[in-house]
Amino acid sequence: MNILFLQFLLQVIFLTIVFLHISKKNFDAIWAYGIQSFAITILLLNSFFETGNISLLFVALLVLIVKVVLAPRFFARLIKKNELIFSVSTYLNIPITLIVIVLLCAIAFSGIFEPLTSIISSNQGLLSLALSTMFLSLFLIINRKSALSQIVGILSLENSIVAFAIFAGLEQSLSLQIGILFDISVWLIIATVFMSMMYTHFGSLDVTDMKKLKD
Amino acid sequence: MYNTELIFILIPFFIAALLCITVKNRRLIEISSLIASGISLLGSIIVSFRVAYFGVYAPFPFFSVDSLDAVVMLIIAFVGLATTVYSIEYLRQETTKNIIGLSGVSYLSSRVREYFILLNLFMAMMFLAIMVSSPLFAWIFIEATTLSTAFLISFYNKPSAIEGAWKYLIINSIGILLAFFGTLLFFSSTGSLASDGFISWHLLAINATNFNPLIIKVAFIFIFIGYGTKVGFAPMHTWKPDAYSKAPAPIGALFSGALLPVAFAVILKFKMITDIVVGPSFSQNLFIIFGLLSIVIAATIMFVSRNYKRLLAYSSIENAGIIAIGFGFGGLGIFAAMLHMIYHSFLKSALFFLSGNFLLKYNSAKITAIRGALNVVPITAILFLTGFFAITGAPPFGIFFTKIFILSAGIKEHPFIVITVIMLVSIVFIGFLKHAMVMIFEQGDSNIKAEKENIWLLLPPVALIVIALFLSFNIPPFLSILIYNIALHY
Repeated sequence: MNILFLQFLLQVIFLTIVFLHISKKNFDAIWAYGIQSFAITILLLNSFFETGNISLLFVALLVLIVKVVLAPRFFARLIKKNELIFSVSTYLNIPITLIVIVLLCAIAFSGIFEPLTSIISSNQGLLSLALSTMFLSLFLIINRKSALSQIVGILSLENSIVAFAIFAGLEQSLSLQIGILFDISVWLIIATVFMSMMYTHFGSLDVTDMKKLKD
Repeated sequence: MYNTELIFILIPFFIAALLCITVKNRRLIEISSLIASGISLLGSIIVSFRVAYFGVYAPFPFFSVDSLDAVVMLIIAFVGLATTVYSIEYLRQETTKNIIGLSGVSYLSSRVREYFILLNLFMAMMFLAIMVSSPLFAWIFIEATTLSTAFLISFYNKPSAIEGAWKYLIINSIGILLAFFGTLLFFSSTGSLASDGFISWHLLAINATNFNPLIIKVAFIFIFIGYGTKVGFAPMHTWKPDAYSKAPAPIGALFSGALLPVAFAVILKFKMITDIVVGPSFSQNLFIIFGLLSIVIAATIMFVSRNYKRLLAYSSIENAGIIAIGFGFGGLGIFAAMLHMIYHSFLKSALFFLSGNFLLKYNSAKITAIRGALNVVPITAILFLTGFFAITGAPPFGIFFTKIFILSAGIKEHPFIVITVIMLVSIVFIGFLKHAMVMIFEQGDSNIKAEKENIWLLLPPVALIVIALFLSFNIPPFLSILIYNIALHY
């Protein structure tokens, strides 16, 4: 595939995370995550076409099933069940959030992480962008008060790491990829169950409502 | 039968978990879990002997046990068996008191069934994480421990338990993803080695001299922070007091006694490779910085702690810090740190069991609620006091000697750190002593009557304290060899 198209896919992943930071509706966040995961699927498919490694095709299909289809469906059902149309707020307001995003990107593109971004020197810019998506995902988990956003943040962090790994040429065997995907799927189910339990006990998914551990 | 010990250790846990799902007889579930833990102990002892006298044991592809693995397997097995024995009676008492599920011990409560399924899976995942020969497989199984234990923390289904479990799930998931990233970065240096997709610890070690030092440094920082979250190093420790205090007491024992060494061992394996690439000082400094920070935070908070299970959690953070400093100082410090890890696992598990006894009697985890324990639960109180002295490093317990050895290993090169640690450890002792004395000796609510204590709730902590005491004076030759090998290679 054209390098410009791969760049575009990584930019899509980056933009979905920025969108996750500013979106207010839970459904929008789920859509953004689905699009992000779809971009990862295409990146994996590209790796398959480039290397001819059939295991990458399986992994791409699994990502499609787990992350693009199942995960958003899980979340959508949860949102509908509990009528969680709007997500709760962030700790920082939107302008400050955007400033932090810019700062994190600057750090990712700075010389501090050059050893990482120069793993494949021809992909330095792309690796820097992938690294900034990781930082933004971490920031998303910290900055959002909603449990759903925190889960999407963790899944987004996982996508960012996979994107970084692809551009750094770190393909692993099928068994390992399936193992990791299996872990993510189980994690997804458990996190969704927990969200339901949280809603039952606290009446919201706002983590700031959880104050029972103050004893 | 030949070379099948590892299978014999693992399979019974899966069978027991399967039985817990399918069988409705509570006694059968308990016995199957007990047998699985018993077999794992037997298998671990056999494997440890093999490793001590014949070197690395790798009977199958993807599995490999070295000296460090063998010691951690022994810890998991001993603590695991004690936890299973204790859990059986503990859950029976909780069922009788209607704390969980249906009353009456002969009928199966679904919660009890759930507990033993997760307990057996948790044990199997810890064994797998330590036995596998690939860093990525180890990562998968460590992640699996997070997943299998989340529901154990929320076991009582109370809002505070859900909150603790959620915190645990989120913080540990972030940590484990950072560890995953660090692992991938280690692999980035392997180049063509990665062509078959399987990279073992051994392969990483023998090719370490070709790795890019800058990448390895960054990778090790991610590994340290990632798995350090699981160990509970400050400042990634925030989940620990909440999870430990909200989980059932035996699960707290397993967390502190077994999971901590498992995560620590994975960091040590990466440390060994990092040391080959960039020299030992880089990783040693990280161990010292995070170790010291952990002790500072634990010492400060333990003094004002109001919950005895949280007190034990902070004590675990403090001891993880001491072990880290031992590895940071190197040399004799490593030998002492390994012994410290063993003593801590046994003693802290015993203390968690005893905290469960307090909880059953007083129905509260608040320190202010426990008064006159010496009169109400005398054996538990005496054992708790013994465990307190042992864990804080009072002579003649082994932790006294390991602390002395660790600090003496660093006195020449890091005198300021050693003096700081001595002061902090003293604060921990005073803080812990203050709470323990009040709980045990101060007179309180006369409505809580003394009753005969249940032998099955006393036997596991007694056994662990006796083993720790025995090991303080007499380290079996095979264990000496294993620890010596660890000091040599890590």
